[in-house]
Amino acid sequence: MDKIASLKKFLNPKKIAVIGASKSKDKVGGIVFRRLLDSRRRLFPVNPKETAIEGYKVSPDIQSLPKDIDLAIITISAAAAVKSVEMCIKKGIPNYIIVAGGFGEVGAEGRELEEKLTGLAKEKNVNILGPNSLGIFLPDENIDTIFVEHGDKSLDRKGRVACIVQSGSVGVEALGYASNTGYGMRAFVGLGNKCDLDEIDFLEYFARDEKTNCLGFYLENIERGRQFLTVAKEAAREKPVVVLKAGRTHTAVLAVSSHTGKLAGSDNVISGALKQFGIQRVYDDEEFCDATKVLSMLSGTPGNRVAVLTAAGGYGVMCTDFIEKKDMRALLKMAKLSKDTQKRIKEATFPFTACENPVDITASADDRMFSQSFDILIEDDGVDIIICIAFFAPPGISENLIDIIADKIKKSDKPVIVFTKYGPFTDNSIKNLYYAGVAAYPSVGRAVRAARFLVERTKIKQRLDQKA
Amino acid sequence: MEKKLKRWFETFGDKENPDEFDAKRLVMLYSIKVPKGKRLGPEDALNIDDIKPPYVVKVCSSNILHKTELKGVLLNNDKECLQDNFKLMQDRFPKENILVENQSTYMGPEFIIGIIKDPALGHAVMVGAGGVLTEIYKDTAFRLAPCSVTDATDMIDELVLSPVFDNFRGMNLDKKKLAQTISQVSRLAHDLGDKLSQLDINPIVFSDGEWIALDVKVMFE
Repeated sequence: MDKIASLKKFLNPKKIAVIGASKSKDKVGGIVFRRLLDSRRRLFPVNPKETAIEGYKVSPDIQSLPKDIDLAIITISAAAAVKSVEMCIKKGIPNYIIVAGGFGEVGAEGRELEEKLTGLAKEKNVNILGPNSLGIFLPDENIDTIFVEHGDKSLDRKGRVACIVQSGSVGVEALGYASNTGYGMRAFVGLGNKCDLDEIDFLEYFARDEKTNCLGFYLENIERGRQFLTVAKEAAREKPVVVLKAGRTHTAVLAVSSHTGKLAGSDNVISGALKQFGIQRVYDDEEFCDATKVLSMLSGTPGNRVAVLTAAGGYGVMCTDFIEKKDMRALLKMAKLSKDTQKRIKEATFPFTACENPVDITASADDRMFSQSFDILIEDDGVDIIICIAFFAPPGISENLIDIIADKIKKSDKPVIVFTKYGPFTDNSIKNLYYAGVAAYPSVGRAVRAARFLVERTKIKQRLDQKA
Repeated sequence: MEKKLKRWFETFGDKENPDEFDAKRLVMLYSIKVPKGKRLGPEDALNIDDIKPPYVVKVCSSNILHKTELKGVLLNNDKECLQDNFKLMQDRFPKENILVENQSTYMGPEFIIGIIKDPALGHAVMVGAGGVLTEIYKDTAFRLAPCSVTDATDMIDELVLSPVFDNFRGMNLDKKKLAQTISQVSRLAHDLGDKLSQLDINPIVFSDGEWIALDVKVMFE
């Protein structure tokens, strides 16, 4: 079986051994084991110092494990972890997650241990994730090995974004943010030090995975750079690929005498390369979540003409400023609404409604007016995207607006993005919109940026289709 | 390696780095235009065949990176003053070759096209606002080599300078030809492989319907 196909069992194991499982709820081995209790898999804790954990009989050593374990999660420290992998390999276990740090990131001794793991993976044909890995989390498969708090309960079961992250805390915070505001996670994989499995393996896997429709990566270094780009480009023909690349490239430290060398600077080369290969680049965890969310929820857009519907005048103007700002990711423009559209909106709302786009139906508007104006905008051939500014403060507007908008968005083939704020209830409001199938953001800038991601994606897709 | 490159290396010999004349012969193999010129040795008399005036007289050495600062460039020479200025340059740099070229007249801005080798991703090609102030403008776009003409067009579109191609102030610059040139330079880098460390074409200008590389520097590993 090739490596990518063998990952299926890695990510959906039937029998899991937890090496270093512990009675203590504070130890990593204790936390990971307890997380897996909900997984409905057969669990095999291993620990010479324990006899039973949560009603499970504990094996004193690896030799006593049954033969057909699919995945071993190693929660013990570096040197011991390597030894236990060696023993597990003798038992024929094919897949490993190594949680412990203390490897390549701490110096020569750790590096040696890590190289040993790399060697084992190659020689013995096994899959090793980590070391220093946060673990894996697949809501739909009920698999969660992540030992830090990550708001798992509020993530959507039917999520479609595969998130592959190199570093722990950035990934966890992205998870936390995502779950606060509604987000569809297909899978979360903490790569850690990448002694064996790396971004390319999971890129290939999730590109083929039917439940995934968007791939997001947080990477600090890309060892097999060209190969990653080539595989990502292939994947991008079908699914958007988003990369958060932190860390400067090494170009700046090279001795350069040419103008070009001096201008290459921090990370201009990687920026250009990502564009060239159809990958959408983001710069922080918030943008990462914003981009993958909208790209997973909405397919592209026929064009870049945006109509703005608002009951709050100030935000409408602000939104226009953001739309008209030159941003090289993708250019947007304010849609020119037809005479007929303008006339119909006035009839549906007030004679004084400003209909030039932004369409400001004012704080006197009610649900019905909002809803009808929305329909009229969707029907205008000069409109490609609608940004809807939804506020619940006007007395005529109720929370029913969420369902009204959601219903229309489902029927519309034009993408709709919502900007909403609701004081301390903002996150919740956005989450409710998410569950109603609506991509919403808590600021004008982020809503407009989301529209840019869609336009950028459409351009990439068209380009890749042309070349195919 | 491509046949044409092999031939170029045969004439280039075992020098460490090409001088401007060598470098221009190298880029010419990839359909990049350069001014008509002749390289003359320290003992050579002025002999410029059929090169037309006005002339530029430059010191031509792979050891000198910044000619202007060392007074190694004399512009706007007509037929009459050429002999004197050629002599002046030979006296100034007695051990170096001298390059005499036709001086191109051009409209619109100067661009830079370059190559660097990224340690992780290999050769990358750059286009940017060129000239002596290029490092101040920092108006650049990069792609990995080799890059297609479509990619190169995207690069040009990314520049702050890109509106000059929309018939800005009557300038009739050929964007497609510049994109083809960028793509060709990236192809050269790709074909040279690891040997190439850095390359600068700066400036490259639009003259008589063609993009012309006025100065070319090539650094090998």
